[in-house]
Amino acid sequence: MPVDALSLLHQMLGPHARFRPGQIEAIEAVATHRGRVLVVQRTGWGKSLVYWIATRLLRQAGSGPAVVISPLLALMRNQILAAERIGVRAMSIHSANRAEWDQVESALAEDRCDVLLISPERLQNERFVTSVLPELGGRIGLFVVDEAHCISDWGHDFRPDYRRLVRILQHVPTGVPVLATTATANNRVVDDIVAQLGSGMTVLRGPLARPSLRLQNLRIAGQPERLAWLAENLGKFPGSGITYCLTVRDTECVAAWLRQKGFEVAAYHAGDDESVQRIELEQALLENRLKALVATTALGMGFDKPDLGFVIHYQRPGSVIAYYQQVGRAGRELERAYAILLNGEEDDRIDDYFIDSACPTSEEMSAVLRVLEPGDGQTLAQVLEQVNISRGMAEKALKLLDIDGAVGHEGTRYFRTPNPWDAEAYAERAARITGLRRAELDHMRAYVAHSGCLMEFLSRALDDPGAAPCGVCANCQRKGFTTRTSGGLVAEANELLRIEEIVITPRQRWPAGVFEKTTIPKDLQNAPGRALYRYAHDGWGKSVHVGKYVHGRFDDELVDAAGELIRDRWKPEPAPEWIVAIPSLRHPTLVYNLAERLAGRLGLPFVPVLACTIEVPEQKTMANSAMQMRNVQKGLSVTGEVLGGPVLLLDDIVDSGWTLTWAGWLLRSNGSGVVHPLALARATGRSA
Amino acid sequence: MAVTEDSRVVLLLCSRLGLPASSEVKPLTLAEWNAVATKLAASGLGRPGGLLTCSAGRLQTELEIAPEDAGRIMRLLDRGGALAIELERLESRGVWIVTRADDAYPRRLKDRLKARAPAVLFGAGDPRLLGKPGLAVVGSRDIDETLQAFAAWIGAACVQAGRVVYSGAARGVDKLAMGAALDSGGQAVGVVAESLERAIRTSDAREALQRGDLALISDYGPDSPFSVGVAMGRNKLIYALADFAIVVASGSREGGTWAGAVEALKHGWVPVFVLNRDGVPDGNASLVQEGAIPFVEPFPEPQELWRWMTEQSAVPVPAQGTLF
Repeated sequence: MPVDALSLLHQMLGPHARFRPGQIEAIEAVATHRGRVLVVQRTGWGKSLVYWIATRLLRQAGSGPAVVISPLLALMRNQILAAERIGVRAMSIHSANRAEWDQVESALAEDRCDVLLISPERLQNERFVTSVLPELGGRIGLFVVDEAHCISDWGHDFRPDYRRLVRILQHVPTGVPVLATTATANNRVVDDIVAQLGSGMTVLRGPLARPSLRLQNLRIAGQPERLAWLAENLGKFPGSGITYCLTVRDTECVAAWLRQKGFEVAAYHAGDDESVQRIELEQALLENRLKALVATTALGMGFDKPDLGFVIHYQRPGSVIAYYQQVGRAGRELERAYAILLNGEEDDRIDDYFIDSACPTSEEMSAVLRVLEPGDGQTLAQVLEQVNISRGMAEKALKLLDIDGAVGHEGTRYFRTPNPWDAEAYAERAARITGLRRAELDHMRAYVAHSGCLMEFLSRALDDPGAAPCGVCANCQRKGFTTRTSGGLVAEANELLRIEEIVITPRQRWPAGVFEKTTIPKDLQNAPGRALYRYAHDGWGKSVHVGKYVHGRFDDELVDAAGELIRDRWKPEPAPEWIVAIPSLRHPTLVYNLAERLAGRLGLPFVPVLACTIEVPEQKTMANSAMQMRNVQKGLSVTGEVLGGPVLLLDDIVDSGWTLTWAGWLLRSNGSGVVHPLALARATGRSA
Repeated sequence: MAVTEDSRVVLLLCSRLGLPASSEVKPLTLAEWNAVATKLAASGLGRPGGLLTCSAGRLQTELEIAPEDAGRIMRLLDRGGALAIELERLESRGVWIVTRADDAYPRRLKDRLKARAPAVLFGAGDPRLLGKPGLAVVGSRDIDETLQAFAAWIGAACVQAGRVVYSGAARGVDKLAMGAALDSGGQAVGVVAESLERAIRTSDAREALQRGDLALISDYGPDSPFSVGVAMGRNKLIYALADFAIVVASGSREGGTWAGAVEALKHGWVPVFVLNRDGVPDGNASLVQEGAIPFVEPFPEPQELWRWMTEQSAVPVPAQGTLF
């Protein structure tokens, strides 16, 4: 016997459960009228409940499985279990669960799957289109678009993959329902989504403010002070929570510090797609086994923990709406939860980096396209040999060109399609998005400086008609946490940052296309090296910048620190017997002078056997491995007699590592012992 | 080109797009679709798009069909989601689609081929080339140097006469004529016998497609491999799109060129010329006996080609009445 929506709700949540305002309307619009619906409701309202029940009703009426498109793995894992209570079997396909794809395919073939969760990238994946989709027999009973604000380039988190999704949805014939959901769309974004997905779309909107959330902004300038503040205050927050950082590096640094101070915390980031570990970490947080996860925004929007006690931002995010979305995860079923935003001057630079490196320039896009014009296809490695842009940027460019229909791909080859590509339109679009990001940043600065109700500010940013003073934020209450910390904590944090070990991992392969064999023989590779600091314009790395570009001489403090690192912490084995340095025509005395002083300090001979053959462009202007390697190879050779013992190879700033790799190879090929590379600083701009 | 709701229905019913290879349910044949289209036009449903919101029961009554046929149609219509994904993919690879339900469908194909006009055409390049006046150039793959030179001459002559070359995009006569047309700054339309997706990927074809000087079309799925059936079936499109046709070289009573020419003559789609000079294959002379007009020396000046062909032939009268 067919069941109705209410009895399904009872099956899911118990006999006394009631629909929240808007839920039944959304279910009916999709399942009964088979229409297109946009739901704008805050996190925790129950969007997933709507599509589980709608799917169950549609399946009962004979429709094919629902396809849920979501950028988040967290959402997928968390909610699959809830669906099973009403007999909705959900499965997911994403880059991290390749091993399960066969099972999913056979489940689809046997009609044992009701909901297929995929990431938007899947839609342009060959295997998905050629192998998974056919198993559905083409029967897609419902499209669910999660995080639908990603459709709009007016949104704070526009994603190019969603453009393809929009074009697909524009081709979906009448009668196949579409449910789009978001917790963070202002009027402009809502209008844009409706314009793109069809004017017949029903929009269901609810209030977005979170009454239990206590917002506070704290101005704390530097990293050591912020670390100290965290150590001082983390224990005062109720339950478990999240500390958001802007970069992977910061999550690890903050987590290490907090662990050292006795807190159960872990770093969480997308990293190398170690999703198994991510699942464990999410689980540990869900079960309050951790005080906090120190995470990048990879800890997803759909992460579902009703009793999340606090969200602390170690740095200021770039947009008010992104901030709202991140703190909106806290306090859903608590009377009191905290959202603290630490901010200061250093945030501006990080934001600038993210904005400026967000998309390739139209010149970079055109250069990639030009390489693909002749012939019938090339690999990424071939493209990189011909265009001086970073690998990451080239991948982005190819992806954008693919989405624009100017480039197609088959296996690892990319080929030009006959579709035209409009560089001018791209440049305009990119400029518009950059402008929008800058405006968002200004708005965020205004939030940080705002003296009125903070929740009201956030609600207004989302055009919530119910925006009003919350009465509980630090500004409404006129009290909150102070920036004071106990004596000694700041100095301790400063020391942690100073002696942070930065390992230079030796390269094992040459970039494709440079040598016939890409593997570097083990006995010609460098040993793992060290960098003293991260290269930066502030903090410890600043002294390297000032030495190189302002004084033309590195300070004695740096020589001391390098000596201390080698003797007390690193202790390279077998111990170096002589020192060699990377020469430079541009700064001929800079590193050599450093090497002489360090050699004196360590009591080793400095033997300058490397020489610059010709002046080549600065290595930092080479944007990818193939280009960097060619450049070093041209510019660097051995001139004197190489000693046989282990050697310390010194340079000021290491970036891609190709200079050190090539120098090490030259030394070893000419008979030196083990090569231990040491740099004063590691540049991190590209890999941040 | 925007795909209309009516076209989506035609694609769901008549193409394999989004249909798994293993599927038990088969798309409608052209004859089956013609029957449905005829009833559809007369029913309360009106246009093909009307089928999307129709129950199986209503389908049965409106189209006066058996329950199992209604079931088959429902199952074909059920894959709108997969069709959408496939349409987007093709579009982003530079392939467009036009169906008999579209205004943009080449008028001549409907007028001349009537019920045999393919329900769906896949293409790349400028679709407007398909309506331009032009000359169909057909012939064998393996030909001697004199015939190769003639194929190139007629391709270039066509451009000088201000006309488009319609051909089969195969090795031999087709490619020579089309290549000569493009090289001399003209335009060409090729009806491919191989996979359209592959054909548009080669850099020569791509450049001409991008310039808007070349259109490649197929009435089979864009990833279909070459087959003799496809190769034969496409002849009628080449003839029916053109104003005149010329056979450069044909086998006698055998091969695709012969079959295509005889078919065109029988239906009177266009006046068919055949090259008649020393060294042509026997089939050329036999085609004269079948009613083809000999194309003999001295050849007209290229600028005079169109007037000359017009004079030598009678223009066929277009028939009335079309189907979706």
